[in-house]
Amino acid sequence: MTQTVLEIKRLKKWFPITGGILGRVKGWVKAVDRVDLEIKEGETFGLVGESGSGKTTVGRCILRLIEPTAGQMIYRGQDITKLKGEAFRRVRRKFGVVFQDPYASLDPRQTIKGALTEPMKYHKTIGSDEEAVERAKDLIKRVGLNEDHLYRFPHEFSGGQRQRIAVARALTTDPEVIILDEPTSFLDVSVQAQILNLLSDLQKEFNLTYLFISHNLSVIEHMSNRVGVMYLGAIMEAAEKDIVYRRPEHPYTHALISALPIPNPELVRQRVVLAGDVPSPVNIPSGCRFRTRCPYATEFCAEKEPPLIARQPGHLVSCHYDLKLSAPIPILETSRKT
Amino acid sequence: MAGAAEVTDTREALLQVKDLRLNFHTYAGEVKALDGVTFVVKKGEAFGLVGESGCGKSVTALTIVGLLPENASVVDGEIMLGADNLLKTPPEEMRKIRANRIAMVFQDPTTFLNPVLTIGEQLEEVFLLNPDRLARVAAERKASEEALMEIKAEDEKTGTEREPTESTRKISKSAKKKVAKALSIDVLTEVRLPDSERTLKQYPHELSGGMRQRCMIAMALARNPDLFIADEITTALDVTIQAQILELLRELKKKLLGSTLLITHDLGVVAELCDRVAVMYAGNIVELATVKELFANPLHPYTQGLMRAIPMIDRRMERLETIPGSVPDLIYPPTGCRFHPRCPFAFERCKLEKPELIHVGKGHTVACHLFGEGKA
Repeated sequence: MTQTVLEIKRLKKWFPITGGILGRVKGWVKAVDRVDLEIKEGETFGLVGESGSGKTTVGRCILRLIEPTAGQMIYRGQDITKLKGEAFRRVRRKFGVVFQDPYASLDPRQTIKGALTEPMKYHKTIGSDEEAVERAKDLIKRVGLNEDHLYRFPHEFSGGQRQRIAVARALTTDPEVIILDEPTSFLDVSVQAQILNLLSDLQKEFNLTYLFISHNLSVIEHMSNRVGVMYLGAIMEAAEKDIVYRRPEHPYTHALISALPIPNPELVRQRVVLAGDVPSPVNIPSGCRFRTRCPYATEFCAEKEPPLIARQPGHLVSCHYDLKLSAPIPILETSRKT
Repeated sequence: MAGAAEVTDTREALLQVKDLRLNFHTYAGEVKALDGVTFVVKKGEAFGLVGESGCGKSVTALTIVGLLPENASVVDGEIMLGADNLLKTPPEEMRKIRANRIAMVFQDPTTFLNPVLTIGEQLEEVFLLNPDRLARVAAERKASEEALMEIKAEDEKTGTEREPTESTRKISKSAKKKVAKALSIDVLTEVRLPDSERTLKQYPHELSGGMRQRCMIAMALARNPDLFIADEITTALDVTIQAQILELLRELKKKLLGSTLLITHDLGVVAELCDRVAVMYAGNIVELATVKELFANPLHPYTQGLMRAIPMIDRRMERLETIPGSVPDLIYPPTGCRFHPRCPFAFERCKLEKPELIHVGKGHTVACHLFGEGKA
C-alpha cells in the first residue's frame, strides 16, 4: 500500500485588493478557494487548469513561498502549515521546486556551482564545502551536463540546459517531493521531450514524488498517474489519468479535453466549445463556479456549491449531476504509425 | 530548381514564394535566417508553416507583408502575389496591398491594437480609409442596406445627383461613418463577439485576450483580403478560448474564398485547420505535403522526430523520443543539410551538399538525401 506523502485540506489563498488613501481592503482575489489533494509516494500528480485557475498558487503555498489564508498541509502526518524556523527548514528541504522560466529562476551573477551548493549549505545537508562540490559534480552529470559547466554562468546556456540546471538544483537537498511548475512551457518541443524524459528517469532513480503543474493537457497526460483539474481556484475533478482523459464526469473536464487540438487529421470528434471567458477570481459565481459556462447548468447550480465527492473510490467530482458524458476523444490505437 | 515540381499550375497559385534568402545583421554576425524557402499558397486553401522557434516561419510571413525589421535584408528570391512581385513593390504600394489584399494577425493582440482608441474607431477606420470599398461592401451586405438608404436620402436632401459609383466619393462624412459603424457591427458579429455594439465603444484593455484576438480577426476580415496570414494566433490563449478561435477560423474558412497562411508550432492546430503544410527547420522547408499525407507518412527525419517528441493523448507512449542537441546557431549554420548534426541517418553527403526539395509523389516533397535519385 503506497503511503500518502502530502495531503492538502481545504486550502485557501485570497489576495487582498486595497485601494483609497487608507489602503483599505476593497475585495479579494480568490486565487485558491477550495483545494483538496492527496499525493501518494512515488507518483506524479498532475495539476491542470487554465491561466488564472490558481494552480501555481497551490504550488507556492505548499512551498510556503506565500502563506496560505486557510487550510492545512500535511506532510507525512505532520501539519506543516504553521511550522516556523528550524522545524520548517527541516521539512522544507524535503521539497524541491522547478519553475517555469529558466531565464528568471537562475541568478545571472552566480556560477552554476554556486547555484547548486548554496541550498546544501543553507540546509546543512553536507559536511564540508568539498563535499558540496562533489555532490554538485555528481548532480550536474545526472542531468546530462558535465563538470565543466559548473564553472559557467547561466547566460552561457540554452533554455533546455538551464532547465536541466534548475532540475539539478531541485535535487541538491535530497528531496522527496518536487514541485514542477510548468517546467517545459518555455521550451521547444524537441527540447521539451528531453526534459520530460529526464524527469521520468530521475523519478525512478531517486523514488521522487512529483506535483506536476501545467496548462498543457498532453504533457500532463504523458507524465501523470493521477490528475486534478482546477477551475477558478477549486478542484473540479480528480482521478486516475485514464478516467480524467477517457471518461470524465465533470462537464468542465469534458470540454477541456475535447477542446485540445490533436495532431491527427483523421480523428473526427465532437468538440464541446464553451462559451465566454473564465470569470474573474474576484467575483466567483455563486453556487457552482463553473455554472456560467456550463452547458448543463440549472437554477439549482446557482444556489448551492457542489461538494467534491468520491463517486467511485479515487474518483472525485464536484458536480450536482451525473451527466453521463460521452468520451471526449475517440481512442485510436491502430491508425497511427510514427 | 527546387520548387519546379511544386509550381505546376500557376493559375491556381495565389502566392508564390521562390527561393527566398534572408539575413539579419547583428553585432555577432550575419544570421542566415532563411536559406532558400520555396512554396506556393493556392487559391482558397489553408496552408500551414510549422516549426520550432527560430526556424524562420514568422520571418517568412513578415517578408511577405513587407514588415521586416531594419536589420533584415533579403538576399535573393521572389514573392509573387498574383502578378506582383512583393519584394520589388515600393513601400507606399505595399501599404495599399496590406490594406486591401493581405491581412495579418499576430500572436499578441495587445501589441497590435492601439490602446488609446476604441475598438470602434480602429475598426471603422478600415472602412473609412477606402470609400470605394465602403460602398461596395455595403452593397454586398444585406444588413447594411438600411445605412445605404440613409446615404441616398441624404443625397436627395442636398440635391446632389451623381453616378452610383462616383457618388460614394462625395457622400457626407456622417453618412460614411454610419455605414462604417454598421459594417463594423456586422464583422464583429461575424467573429462571434456577443454584444458587438458595446464592444465598439470599448478600449482594448477592457477586453479579454480571446476577445481582443477576435477584434484583430474582425479587422482582417473587414479588409476582405485575398490572403489571411495568422501568426501563432492561438498560442497565447487558454485551451477553451483557443477552441473558440479555432472553431471560428474553421467557420470563416468555409465562408470565405480567400487563402489562409497559418503559422504555428502546434501540430495539433495544423491537423485541425490546414489543407497543406510545410515543415521548416533552421531556415529551410524540409518537407511539404497535404496534411493527411504528412501525418500518415512523415518522411523527413526531422518531421518524424518532431512527431515522436510530442506527447499525444490519442496514443500511449512509455517514453518520448528525442531529437538530440538543439537548434543550430544560424550565424554559423551547419554545412550541407542544416539538420545533419542532429540527424540519426546522416551520412557523408549530408555534410557536403544541401538537399533540394524533391517530389516523392502525391504532392509530397521532401528535402533529404535519403530520398532522391531513385533511392526512395
